[in-house]
Amino acid sequence: MNISDPTETFRQEARELLDQLEAGLLDLEQDPSNDDLINSTFRALHTIKGSGAMFGFTAVAEFVHEFETAFDRVRKGQSKANTALIGVALDAKDHIHLLIENPDAPIDGGTEILVQLRAIVDGAAVDGHGEAAPAVVAAPAPAPVVVEAPKPADSGAKRWRLTFYLPSDALIYGTNPELLIKELAGIGPISVLALSDRIPDLDIIDPEVSYLGWQVDIEVADDPTAAIDDVFLFLRDNMELTLAPLGGEAAVAVIEAPAPVVDVAVAAPSDDAMPEAPFVPEPVVAKAAPAKKAKAAEKAEADKPAATSLRVPAERLDELMDRVGELVIAQARLSQIANSSSDTALKTIAEELERLSSGLRDTTMGIRMVPIGTIFSRFRRLVHDLSGELGKQIEFITTGEETELDKTVIERLADPLVHLIRNSVDHGLESAEKRIAAGKDPKGTVRLSAVYSGAEVAISVIDDGAGLNHERIRAKAEENGLISADAKLTDQELNHLIFAPGFSTAKEVTALSGRGVGMDVVKRTIDGLRGTIDVTTTPGKGSVFTLRLPLTLAIIDGMLIRVGDGRYTIPLAAVEECVELPAGVEANAKGRNFLDIRGSLVPYLRLREVFGLKGQGDEHEKVVIVSSGEGRVGLVVDQIIGNNQTVIKQLSKLHSGIKSFSGATILGDGTVALILDTAHLVASGQSYVERNLGRAA
Amino acid sequence: MSENQEYMTALTIRLEDELFAVEASRVREILDLVPITEVPSARAFVGGLINVRGRVVPLADLRVMFGMERPEPDEDTRIVVMEVDIDGEPTIAGILADKVHDVTDIESASIEEAPKVGMRWRPEFVKGIGKRNGGFIIIPDMERIFETPGGRSTSVAAPEERAAS
Amino acid sequence: MTKTILTIDDSASIRQMVAMTLTAAGLDVIEAVNGQDGYDKATTNTVHAIITDLNMPVLNGIEFIRKYRQHPASKGIPIILLTTESDEELKRQAKEAGATGWIVKPFKQDQLLAVIKKVTGA
Repeated sequence: MNISDPTETFRQEARELLDQLEAGLLDLEQDPSNDDLINSTFRALHTIKGSGAMFGFTAVAEFVHEFETAFDRVRKGQSKANTALIGVALDAKDHIHLLIENPDAPIDGGTEILVQLRAIVDGAAVDGHGEAAPAVVAAPAPAPVVVEAPKPADSGAKRWRLTFYLPSDALIYGTNPELLIKELAGIGPISVLALSDRIPDLDIIDPEVSYLGWQVDIEVADDPTAAIDDVFLFLRDNMELTLAPLGGEAAVAVIEAPAPVVDVAVAAPSDDAMPEAPFVPEPVVAKAAPAKKAKAAEKAEADKPAATSLRVPAERLDELMDRVGELVIAQARLSQIANSSSDTALKTIAEELERLSSGLRDTTMGIRMVPIGTIFSRFRRLVHDLSGELGKQIEFITTGEETELDKTVIERLADPLVHLIRNSVDHGLESAEKRIAAGKDPKGTVRLSAVYSGAEVAISVIDDGAGLNHERIRAKAEENGLISADAKLTDQELNHLIFAPGFSTAKEVTALSGRGVGMDVVKRTIDGLRGTIDVTTTPGKGSVFTLRLPLTLAIIDGMLIRVGDGRYTIPLAAVEECVELPAGVEANAKGRNFLDIRGSLVPYLRLREVFGLKGQGDEHEKVVIVSSGEGRVGLVVDQIIGNNQTVIKQLSKLHSGIKSFSGATILGDGTVALILDTAHLVASGQSYVERNLGRAA
Repeated sequence: MSENQEYMTALTIRLEDELFAVEASRVREILDLVPITEVPSARAFVGGLINVRGRVVPLADLRVMFGMERPEPDEDTRIVVMEVDIDGEPTIAGILADKVHDVTDIESASIEEAPKVGMRWRPEFVKGIGKRNGGFIIIPDMERIFETPGGRSTSVAAPEERAAS
Repeated sequence: MTKTILTIDDSASIRQMVAMTLTAAGLDVIEAVNGQDGYDKATTNTVHAIITDLNMPVLNGIEFIRKYRQHPASKGIPIILLTTESDEELKRQAKEAGATGWIVKPFKQDQLLAVIKKVTGA
């Protein structure tokens, strides 16, 4: 049972609608006459207004109302959705967002935005028409209400006679005369007489049509006109009704004369919340124009397939993951028992259970996985704004939006990516003049991509700007005491200096990127996600920043290996292949641990050494080749035991600093096994290679 | 916290030939010896991991911090699973005990500060020394002991050996 | 017998608010997210009244009412349309399509209950 606050639900809803609105506006800028986009923009505004008013966000409702009115010109084709308009509209969207997050704080800026909006809309008017308020002109209708000359009611009259007949379709359309009469009884004591004069003969009677009339005498001191109007609120326009005081004068007081309805400005909807005034009878002549608009908007919607989704609190997902984790562990223990048993029935069911739990695991993991496109979209707005502010033309390309990551990882990635994109746009891309001088397209390109790579996801921010300036980096690092003047650093090491705390190459502190302190925070955030960040650069051509993150945080397929007496798990997705360690390789190695794998040299690490174990390895050691990003390393183990489903348990602070391990798991026999951090081991292998060969293998 | 003005409710455990007291309210359970998975490259103080009801729990050996001998476990050896604060964060950890005695109340009045000199172990790891039945009970400062190097405060941890095998 | 009200609205917050209001008053509530979903639920469940929003994807409020009124199950079932303005033309269309009544947004919870009481007696 969902017991959350509807106001909070509205807030979440509004946030999503605002995101849609922003995306729609950005798309509209590229395609200004797209009616579908215009209508969906309108619809988003409309919903925010309606719901906002419902939940007490009056400032929001009022602002959006004005926004809607101004934007209405665009909808009617009287104004074009040009860049200036979109710009103001985006500002308006930001304002709405502020209002929703802080409904009580007085927030300025709304009026200016509206003024700007109106100015642009009027200025960009296509036909130069003034405020055309299509008035609904009424033709005098055949008045179904019985009208007599109005005469004031006599104050002494205490009994009233109400006579009415319902419209013929009233019953079918849900009106219940019994309830009407009950309501009338609420006004005062009544006596009711049913009028059967209009009931046709039995052979032609249609049981669903309302033929009956009623004569109701009501005892009440004051004029019951208003109260009776209220009872018949929904029916007034096409029912028959007379009301007259009984006794005393013969004058008949009537409810309403059907005045011709004029001056209803449809373009400016009235602000009244509830219809207090008695319902004025409608002209029967249909008015075509307003209906068509509504239909067009609704048609656009009808073409979209309804997406059904469900909101679930994140804690419930976590609980579900825990349960599945426990199930996997228990199933592993069962499999172990089954393996060493000769009971075939047991073995069969254990296998079945393994298959089922694997499927359940995949499905559950899938629930937490969210396409990275969900955060990519907000960057469009960022680049759009940056482009305007810096006066740089920027082409922003995204690929791999469908790449899925764990929800929690994605949320924590947003800030680092913002930093990186800002950095690329602000410092990486040169101004248009510089680019032309360098023979480049004046429009700079920033590309954001996400792709799977083994057990990781690689997210890259690529720009075709000037690249990292190594001299400047060096100078800055020396200036800030990070390196000594005569320190020898490879290009890669220079590149990595930008992630060091206390470093900044920005000549000026630009308002946008701040002091360039973002980079060390970015690195720390990525470290916290057990990921890595890398940068490669080519002077004059551009830079590539790559984040690598582990794919899942909870349950993976693992390969169980033994080193000495201890058992360890390697994420299977990182494993490329397994080979035997060629005999006599040690003797020939001369301290250089490399394997020849089909022509390429792969460095290897002896896990015994890495773990500080004494003694010799087994006779036929195996090498598990794992990869991370571009690098590979072979891990020498005593034995490869097999594959298992590995429920990842986080290590406590006491052990989380040990780089070789990324977590722990519980094996089928109940013991704990550590999970190897393949990215770190590959990196170790790489630096070993670099130290020994002086270059990357 | 069971420590109030008058007394501290403590679980007494034996390490080597000394009695130690840990806060009873923080103890989750007491286990017989279970298989311990060694963590290569870990500090000797927390060289192992154990499985407690499906949870991976680090195993701490206070004897390391107090420079004691560490004989092989025997049938009296127990693991006290309790909540400790590591750099301010509550965590579940297991403590090896040569023997577990009982839960007892130690009168706060009888707890004295550890003498700065002349004591067998590092004073910064000892919160106080209480008296019971004519003997001494050492009340360890768990927060200090479990502080990670580079953790919150600036106190110096005891020199460690790498996990030898 | 407890009356069941079907509420059709693409806004989760409005649906939630309506459902909370009605269940607190002792009614059962079924929710639908658009006109088509509403039609499916209205024709496969026993409902005693329907509250529907106007602007919804797939099938809007008035389209829903028209479609539903063609189904025999709809006879006598009151339908209340939620509208954002007291647009006379809109009300006329709604009635023509087969709506029983309307509520203008924003509305308070007791206004909602009053209208429900008016058309269902509950």
